[in-house]
Amino acid sequence: MKMTNDKKAILELENIVKKYTSRGSFFGAHGKEIIALNKISFKIMRGEIFGLVGESGSGKSTAGRLIVRLEKPEEGRIRLNGREVTALKGKTLKEFPRKVQMIFQDPYQSLNPQLSVFDTISEPLVIHKIGNAGDKETAVWQTMKSVGLSPPDDFINRYPHQLSGGQRQRVAIARVMVLNPDFVVADEPTSMLDASISAQIFNILIEMRENLQATLLFITHSLSAARYLCDRIAVIYKGHMMELGPADQVIQNPKHPYTKALIDALPKFGLSDEGIKPYNTLLPVKREASEHEGCPFFPRCMLANTTKCSMEKPLFKKIDDSHWVACFYAKNE
Amino acid sequence: MALLDVENLSIGYHTQKGYLHAVGGVSFSLEEGKSLGFVGESGCGKTTLGMALMRLLPPNGVIRDGRILLDGVDLLQKSDEEMREIRWQKIAMIFQAAMNALNPVHRVHEQIAEALLTHNASLDKREAYEQVEALFQLVGIPKDRMQDYPHQYSGGMKQRAIIAMALACKPSLIIADEPTTALDVIVQDQILKEIINLQKEFGISMIFISHDIAIVADVCHDIGIMYAGNLVELGSREAVFNNPMHPYTKALLSSYPTLTGEKSRLMPIPGETPNLIHPPSGCRFCDRCPAAKATCKTGEAVWVKISPDHKALCYQCGADCRNE
Repeated sequence: MKMTNDKKAILELENIVKKYTSRGSFFGAHGKEIIALNKISFKIMRGEIFGLVGESGSGKSTAGRLIVRLEKPEEGRIRLNGREVTALKGKTLKEFPRKVQMIFQDPYQSLNPQLSVFDTISEPLVIHKIGNAGDKETAVWQTMKSVGLSPPDDFINRYPHQLSGGQRQRVAIARVMVLNPDFVVADEPTSMLDASISAQIFNILIEMRENLQATLLFITHSLSAARYLCDRIAVIYKGHMMELGPADQVIQNPKHPYTKALIDALPKFGLSDEGIKPYNTLLPVKREASEHEGCPFFPRCMLANTTKCSMEKPLFKKIDDSHWVACFYAKNE
Repeated sequence: MALLDVENLSIGYHTQKGYLHAVGGVSFSLEEGKSLGFVGESGCGKTTLGMALMRLLPPNGVIRDGRILLDGVDLLQKSDEEMREIRWQKIAMIFQAAMNALNPVHRVHEQIAEALLTHNASLDKREAYEQVEALFQLVGIPKDRMQDYPHQYSGGMKQRAIIAMALACKPSLIIADEPTTALDVIVQDQILKEIINLQKEFGISMIFISHDIAIVADVCHDIGIMYAGNLVELGSREAVFNNPMHPYTKALLSSYPTLTGEKSRLMPIPGETPNLIHPPSGCRFCDRCPAAKATCKTGEAVWVKISPDHKALCYQCGADCRNE
């Protein structure tokens, strides 16, 4: 595995807080605040694939949307190449979407049904005024080949409804790659696709990193996909960072009870995953603790100390060079 | 005698573009108390197969050929009225999208009581509610949540309610179609454990349909692999996993990322699934098959028996597959 410590961080998130206000029901009171992200901090190094793993509602997609400036955080800072993203103005602001791109979850919704494949992939070049007509054509051609839409002639004039799910996602990836971005956020890019097609997409993302030297934030709910693709993984739960470390280390030697519970919950038969012994860190019945100050995982944690863990929130701290955990009882064995 | 015997079942849909061969010549049997899982990618016909067993195909769906024998009686010969009796009483279904399977304007326990009352004329309302209470306890929904509306439930609870509904009339066969697809892993794990326990406890036979081979392997005794409307491999889960025979099964197994072991590069299956309105002649997998030979396009279907409980449908390389 590549050592990422000595490399420069391309993206830094520092104490990010994102709140949403719920609209409330027709009758009930409104304006209840929901904290989607609670003091999230991490750094992504240049050239790495960083995995953000969590369940639905954990805030993983919100983090992705904040990074590409689709939304603004209430608190905290996001820096790309040392520059604060939220404070960009003028020319640098215009440049930003060329450098930072996003691949969305659902290729059935992220493509414009009225644009042909060629128009879809060349549109970013038109918007950013890159190259003349001939250059555009070559760029589109090459990108299509590198995402496996080949021969490009077969696809160039098709519309999204004439493509399968896997092909649509390739078009969505091509549209991102054609700009040669520095940083790409991929938000569950394969959750709508079949296993054999997801594997194709994973391999395209790996090639993209190798060929374009792009950095990738891969948002997923699947630990096994994260292990396959990522150099490092961060696990988040209800908007809190739980664990961060090199992918293999987090999965084979998890420290946080929540990460352990996630691994326990995966089906293990066959696929050479058998023989993994369960950690049993999940309480069968939730503890009564609706509004508590402590660890977010406390109501479901088997190992929790009922007084300490419910009163005090554990800090997200380093347990060795590259492994961070937010748990009082995590030790480096 | 097996509880369920399906013989040479062929199902299709009339579409605007022509007749779509959704399921072709599928045969299998299921013993009492056993579970059989069907795995395949989208469009392989697994849901169509499940719906056909319930005789719940959409209006443009037709069962062209074959027999579905439940306890020796052919369901395809039954009238709609007779089928209504059999559904829920003998065969129940756990639907794919639990979030949409409940009626949003009725309380959850009323909906399940309704299923009970419809199928059991001798039952009065009070008894029905008592049974619902017992069912909810069985699937792990707290008693005080019984009278809630569906929108007050979490995804996992809705799925539990649907399972309770499937169990309501004590069926001998349950068809579960992707029962955990929209759920998070931890909830999925709890629901799967629940399903396995209930299946064992009541000796219910089950057909489990999923796109995720690992889930099916966790739940079922036997596994059937489907591709483009055909059943291509059938066997005990140990046999199919440890000794996959059909090239598609092998390819499918090597396209899943794993949690442990060597981090080898995934081998995606090249190409796309065939168009089932004009299915290719010969083997439907041969365009994507690394072991395909010229005769695959013309050859006859051959079931190759690998062991008493394991067989694969490989058109011409039967002998080769065995030698590999």
